[in-house]
Amino acid sequence: MRFVTSLTILALLFATSCTKIQVPTPEVNVAQVKEITLDPNAAVWDAVSLHASKMILQDLVEPRLLEPSTSEVMVKAITNGSEIAFRLEWLDASQSDMPGPRHFIDGCAVQLPSKVDSNVPAPQMGEVGKTVEISYWRADWQAIVEGRADNINAIYPNASIDHYPAEAKPLENNTQAQAETAARYSPARALGNRRSGPRDQPVEDLIAEGPSTLSPAPSAVSKGKGVKTAKGWAVVISRPMPAGFSAATPSQIAFAVWEGSHIEVGARKMRTGWVPLILK
Amino acid sequence: MARVNNWQLGREMSYWYPESRPQKQFAAVFDTNKCIACQTCTLACKTTWTSGKGQEYMLWNNVETKPYGSYPLAWDLNLLSLLDGQNWGEEGGKPVYKGSTIFESAPAGERVLGWRPEDEDYAYPNVGEDDCAGGVEHGASIEIPHAMAWFYYLARICNHCTYPGCLASCPRGSIYKRPEDGIVLVDQNRCRGYQECVRGCPYKKVFFNPMTSTSEKCIACYPKIEQGLSPQCFANCIGKIRVAGFINTPDKAEADNPIDYLVHIKKVALPLFPQFGLEPNVYYIPPIHVPTAFTRQMFGPGTDKAVEIYRNAPNDQDLTSLLGLFGSTEAIMRKWKRVGDKAIGMDENGKELVNVPFEEPVHIRPAYDKLYQITRTNCP
Repeated sequence: MRFVTSLTILALLFATSCTKIQVPTPEVNVAQVKEITLDPNAAVWDAVSLHASKMILQDLVEPRLLEPSTSEVMVKAITNGSEIAFRLEWLDASQSDMPGPRHFIDGCAVQLPSKVDSNVPAPQMGEVGKTVEISYWRADWQAIVEGRADNINAIYPNASIDHYPAEAKPLENNTQAQAETAARYSPARALGNRRSGPRDQPVEDLIAEGPSTLSPAPSAVSKGKGVKTAKGWAVVISRPMPAGFSAATPSQIAFAVWEGSHIEVGARKMRTGWVPLILK
Repeated sequence: MARVNNWQLGREMSYWYPESRPQKQFAAVFDTNKCIACQTCTLACKTTWTSGKGQEYMLWNNVETKPYGSYPLAWDLNLLSLLDGQNWGEEGGKPVYKGSTIFESAPAGERVLGWRPEDEDYAYPNVGEDDCAGGVEHGASIEIPHAMAWFYYLARICNHCTYPGCLASCPRGSIYKRPEDGIVLVDQNRCRGYQECVRGCPYKKVFFNPMTSTSEKCIACYPKIEQGLSPQCFANCIGKIRVAGFINTPDKAEADNPIDYLVHIKKVALPLFPQFGLEPNVYYIPPIHVPTAFTRQMFGPGTDKAVEIYRNAPNDQDLTSLLGLFGSTEAIMRKWKRVGDKAIGMDENGKELVNVPFEEPVHIRPAYDKLYQITRTNCP
């Protein structure tokens, strides 16, 4: 069995080394395919052109990121005409997907102007009157979607909990009372803060009109899936085709990456400027 | 940054936003000399607000033993070591802070000077409990008076600062100060859990909830405040060390306002680490048995005088009577007065809420009770 496993690894290594090295394009070319996939390892990505997006520090607004981390993100894009999917891959030696005090989460985001227009919004999250749409993937949401329990023991396995009022004996046959009691001690969830989970997608839809204006989008339309690779993350984010985007009317796109172990969160991130987005 | 007036520093300072004082400012006075660290306040808060998932480690109210206790670990020492030159000077006979605040010493790229506690830092809420400063020589414990191997208890809640570090740190404007009472709150709908407030609050009284990915903090029991009642940690304090109310700025101090009287007029209650620059609104009567070389760093240049005033309280009927009103009613006393040997607490319209004699009558009972024909032991 060990011999067979070794052979398999050798075969995989050989196959990897024989993969044709792609020459990156200066723009993100969107390939037209029959079916959209959320799988970063799907074969469909092999034939899609690659864009290597150089990342820069977010150092315009406080709090800034002062030390660079992720230097570039590899991007591919496909569409089936109604949905568009982006595959982002970047290097990150650690896996940060456990929230907690001073624990920050690996993540990435794609940003598109709300309107296809030659006069694009500021790449730093748009500007007043020029909204941008952001689809944001997080590693902890990925873990939750894939079945990690939504409780404190999933984060601290040895945690010992005396008592939760929502699980008190008198409420055990009353699910409504349990939910009401739990909500009382979870104001973010009680208010419907989409950030506060529990989640069925690892991607969140947001809009912004400049730094500090990030808000939930009117509806949740993005999907995604991320996998940890040997050297980093590979993530697919899909969303509806941007309004007005066509082969005749190209748009722009920007990317951001957060490396949790580098204390990157919110404005502390690596980002790109606008990159041309072209439908092939 | 804007220039704002911080009366606790005796000068203007830089702050992220312009000065905007609330119509009323929630404030409190804690008498450290009366605290026995029973943690009833801690549990009153815990059961009321933080018994949910993700809140397990949170103590919006905690009581720590000084000098060695701290929750989260070294919350005070870590910032003190970051903050340079915390010297006080004097101008016109009044103390003026000559050092930098956390806003004035913010490093490049940051909104305030701060640091981030790790999850392990919250794991020892009772570290240093009852550990005294210095060694206790053999036999010293039975010497009278005691050798001065000291410790004291410091009960802590959010200070609902005039210039909150958490509010200044939040890049999203998710933290706000209520104009009606100055209570500082995290908007749980807007917060995105960046933990910048956790980093920026020098008192470390904002907590990250890993289940909701938002930050949470003491809300001063505002549903009770709105009804004219004291927060849970005040109402449940069995040592009666706390009084809640509203504070004015020194130029508008009112002698019949309990907080103003203690803070501005008697100057017996002092802010916690005023040099941080937040103008915190929980005031402490410093412990009188602790060397002021220690407490002066914690409570500022007024410490020695405050200790002197408190020690003289037996000769000061007004102060004695007001101290007797601490914990005497759940209602918030907006006004007070002394009438004879009674202290009277009142609402904002002057209606009496409570009256407390500040000298309890003494009854001397004979050792032998003729009525019941028994000999009593000499206990209360």
